[in-house]
Amino acid sequence: MNKKTAAGISIIVLALLLLQTIELQAAVGCSLNDPDRDIKRIFPKSTGYRSEFISIAERGGQSLLKQIEAKLGDKFDTEYEAIDVPYSYYVVLTGKEVIGYVHGVNQKGMFGGMQIILATSLDGELLDMYYQKVSSPESRKFRDKSFTKQLVGLSLSDFYHHDEMQGRTCPSDRVGAIKDPTKKSHDDFVATLRGIKKNLILHSIFILKRSIDDPHKTVKGEKR
Amino acid sequence: MKLLMIAFKNLKRRKLRSLFTIGGVAIAVAVLVSLLGFSAGYKKALTNDIDKMGYQVLVTAKGCPYEAATLMLKGGGGLRYMEQDVYNGIVSDERIDKATPQLIHTVYDPDRLDGRGGFALYVGIMKSHLELKPWTKFKSGKWFTKDDADEVIMGFEAAELEQRSVGDKIFIPGIEKILTVVGIFERTGTQDDGVIFLPLKSAQQLFDLKDKISGIGIKLKNIEELGQFEEDMYEVPGTQVISMAQVKGTFLNLVSSAKVLVTSVAIIAVFVAAIGVVNTILMSVFERTQEIGVMKAIGASKLDIFRLIWMETILVCTLGGIAGNIGALLGGSIVERVVKGLLPYAPEGQIVLITPTALLTSLIGAIILGLVAGIYPAYRASSMRPIEAIRSGE
Repeated sequence: MNKKTAAGISIIVLALLLLQTIELQAAVGCSLNDPDRDIKRIFPKSTGYRSEFISIAERGGQSLLKQIEAKLGDKFDTEYEAIDVPYSYYVVLTGKEVIGYVHGVNQKGMFGGMQIILATSLDGELLDMYYQKVSSPESRKFRDKSFTKQLVGLSLSDFYHHDEMQGRTCPSDRVGAIKDPTKKSHDDFVATLRGIKKNLILHSIFILKRSIDDPHKTVKGEKR
Repeated sequence: MKLLMIAFKNLKRRKLRSLFTIGGVAIAVAVLVSLLGFSAGYKKALTNDIDKMGYQVLVTAKGCPYEAATLMLKGGGGLRYMEQDVYNGIVSDERIDKATPQLIHTVYDPDRLDGRGGFALYVGIMKSHLELKPWTKFKSGKWFTKDDADEVIMGFEAAELEQRSVGDKIFIPGIEKILTVVGIFERTGTQDDGVIFLPLKSAQQLFDLKDKISGIGIKLKNIEELGQFEEDMYEVPGTQVISMAQVKGTFLNLVSSAKVLVTSVAIIAVFVAAIGVVNTILMSVFERTQEIGVMKAIGASKLDIFRLIWMETILVCTLGGIAGNIGALLGGSIVERVVKGLLPYAPEGQIVLITPTALLTSLIGAIILGLVAGIYPAYRASSMRPIEAIRSGE
């Protein structure tokens, strides 16, 4: 293939990819309302970002879904958490260096859909969490920093550890120590934790390429 | 064919210049194609939007009719209200086939837009709503159990956004009310998809608008009676009548004004492209004066030279036309998004409809441009005298 033919094919492929991206964005479950503004706010040192849209269907299909559900401890809603829903990931950059990730999921709440956005470090540790959308009579309590800051520093391992505790009181159970900020919206509190855990599981598999069973291991089995 | 090959090779000798000239023509053609596509697409989408409202006539409280129509089409609020007695009074009119009242109301939701606040839209309806919009089907669930039930039916997209299923609860901020979802409509491709519907009576109670409605959608038995019906409606105090045909005409007129401006820009682009083509080919002719002289000296006729230069011009414009068509096809969705963002009211669906006719028309236009733009350079080249042309380089 000569250079001109290769250049021609590259242009066509790029054009098709561009069109495909436009199609995908229209169907994404939970993307940021204003990525330029939101990412700069979360990561003030960022100079740019790269967005990726990944679905369970394209990364492993039904078998992966079953594994994720097992780890989540709950079934996915077939209507609103369908296998082909593309999840949006923003890889945050300073120059060419990756400094973190921003990713969101939709989560069914008591009175409406929640959009839970997480900012995580390169190791998958929670740096920030906020609700892009939450419908609840006690929404202010959920949005309050005194609640969201309790989540900072957690990682997927903490959620797995919380499951192992199975309701027992344990000082090392950091997820169990998080206090429900509301009086009448406990189900929304539980839904928030489910949304965060789902978000972290998907991020761990899709972006950090970690093992679903052990978030410290990469898929090739290398211990980090 | 031989002439075409020679013309093509001549263009290849000055690749960058030829590419820029082709690019200029391509931009002009792409603008033209998009404009033709917008002209066809907008009218079709607007007609579809208005037809899918199900009404021929809208009776609303007095105010600016176009503002009212825009708000109704966009699903906005802020309308004036009128008494429900108006509906009770006219519903028995024999000329009316179907009529439905509705109450549109917006509620401030502090949780919208990342907690910065925004407005949520609620529409109170009666069962006659479904008669006027027979294409509206239930995806799940059913109609309200009572006229004043604390229930909602959600449009397809509203349900998707809120992740609601039948039986779920929904919270209305501002009035701090929790309602139950009893039904979800299938996707209709209209503004109704993003709306949350309540029973009219419930909406009047919840929003403290007892016996008030925003408007009445009406379908007549005989559309020819529309004129007289409108006349009669003007007698009803505090109301105004908006015919959907008028609304469509008004939007098309508004867009026509914008189209005149864009067409002017497109004509200027075509004019600039034509000058660019003439300039490029003329430069090429002057640079090849000696070459043309030699061609004539060894037997090329005036017509041969004319045809060669003319062919080069046509080739540039044809390639530009093809590139412009490809550009318009690839960039159509981007143009669509930009136009939708700029228009005061953008109907649902595709508003830039690039048809084969538009593509063909633009391509033929580009070829005609080549035919016209090539005449002068071809004439200059063909009228050169061989000896003077050969000597000009000495």
